[in-house]
Amino acid sequence: MTDQRPDFHAALESLEETTLDMADRVEGMVAMAVRALVTSDRELVARVISSDNEVDKIYMDIRARWMHIMARQQPMGGDLRMMAAILEMNNTLERMGDQSVNIARIAGATAGLPREETILAKLTEMGELLKPMIRTAIDAFVRRDADECLLLPAMDAPVDVLNRSMWKHVVACGRDPELLEWATRMILVSRALERVGDQAVDIGEQVAFLMTGDHQEFLRYSEEGSDY
Amino acid sequence: MSTRVGTPAAVMEELTSPGRDAGNVEMMGTPTIFEIKGLNVYYRAFHAVADTSFDIHQNEITALIGPSGCGKSTVLRCLNRMNDLIDGARVEGRVAYHGIDLYGPAVDAVEVRRRVGMVFQKPNPFPKSIYENIVFGPKVAGWKGDFDELVEESLVRAALWDEVKDKLQQSAFDLSGGQQQRLCIARAIATSPDVVLMDEPCSALDPVATYRIETLMRELKEQYTIVVVTHNMQQAARVSDRTAFFSVDVGEKGQRTGRLVEYDATDRVFTAPAKKETEDYITGRFG
Repeated sequence: MTDQRPDFHAALESLEETTLDMADRVEGMVAMAVRALVTSDRELVARVISSDNEVDKIYMDIRARWMHIMARQQPMGGDLRMMAAILEMNNTLERMGDQSVNIARIAGATAGLPREETILAKLTEMGELLKPMIRTAIDAFVRRDADECLLLPAMDAPVDVLNRSMWKHVVACGRDPELLEWATRMILVSRALERVGDQAVDIGEQVAFLMTGDHQEFLRYSEEGSDY
Repeated sequence: MSTRVGTPAAVMEELTSPGRDAGNVEMMGTPTIFEIKGLNVYYRAFHAVADTSFDIHQNEITALIGPSGCGKSTVLRCLNRMNDLIDGARVEGRVAYHGIDLYGPAVDAVEVRRRVGMVFQKPNPFPKSIYENIVFGPKVAGWKGDFDELVEESLVRAALWDEVKDKLQQSAFDLSGGQQQRLCIARAIATSPDVVLMDEPCSALDPVATYRIETLMRELKEQYTIVVVTHNMQQAARVSDRTAFFSVDVGEKGQRTGRLVEYDATDRVFTAPAKKETEDYITGRFG
């Protein structure tokens, strides 16, 4: 079948490619931010921040091109769903980038402070759990796989559990002011990682919408008995 | 291609002589091909278009949009002096083509129409074969050359060659509406114009034929400047680089006069127009 609107479809494909490029960058930023925290590497902190500047530029570029396509091409059907999914994913990815920056900045600010190994291990574990989640969300989008993205809420559940238990480890740090300062900030890191997990699930929801046309919110395990 | 049709008037020779200043370089960096200043058009006592000024740029698609009676087709016809053929039509102001006043006394209107071709709303092939439709204009103009080559080249450019190459001697009326319109485009470009004016070129076509013509327009703008009048705002948004929005003023006695409201990059006109009248029109809040 001949494509009757090749220019429009090329513009849409190009927008999708840019979104995927952004997703790849954000995936790398999350991992880099956790590594910066664990290693107290200031160079990594700077790299996360500079990567976010690039991501912000891509975010603005996608918004401009999105607007241009909507105004000029009047997408319909699957093209319209793709446009809606891309706009949502663009916002979500930009926020994931911001969470990485939050983590990296905390890594920089706490670099000289004493650390508590259990907390660090839990945060590392959260980072490790997020890697396959983000990859699954991106792959589900690339493969247009509505089933694959259904895995995401279950993958997110242990991230939520780790986040909910974080305060206990912080309290256990006792009265050492410096250690307590470090540990308190780690609650913010834990919260940022938990948000990244939620955002990966958000991307999965967009893929499901893209493939089915149904707006749906996946069951979030964290909503059951959540501490906050 | 530019030497295909012979004996142009001396002034028109000058229009395309190498090294000539092609005009202003404006916002998108493309040279101006038409400079329209203070254009007023009358049909006898009827003031059809008032005080219109804007520039049309080379190798771009410029869309003229607006409600019925806003003068967009009238302005289009001023660009190749088609209004000369209408009894009682009078054009005031300046319409410069490559810097030369199109309405100057030395300018040959026939030569203008060769350089500035036109495609109409309803496909209007001649009652002749596909082949004869293409070669008719160049023959009349006295062109000497390889007609077979001309036919193939024109039909290839109009994205019709593959569909008709085995039936060139068949009547043009055997073609579908969309094919007939592409034949008319092929016929318009066979005389080596550098501008193609299109007056509602897709309004008689189905969506598939419409998309085909729109794709063709984007291909053609690499070699030609295109000015298109369209009632279809979405079409203007899809194909054009710049958009001119015209509106109508209704006088005390009900007389309707068109005027240019806004002219800008198409992206701008359809996302953040400067004038409220344009915003009202594109969002369907007019009338």
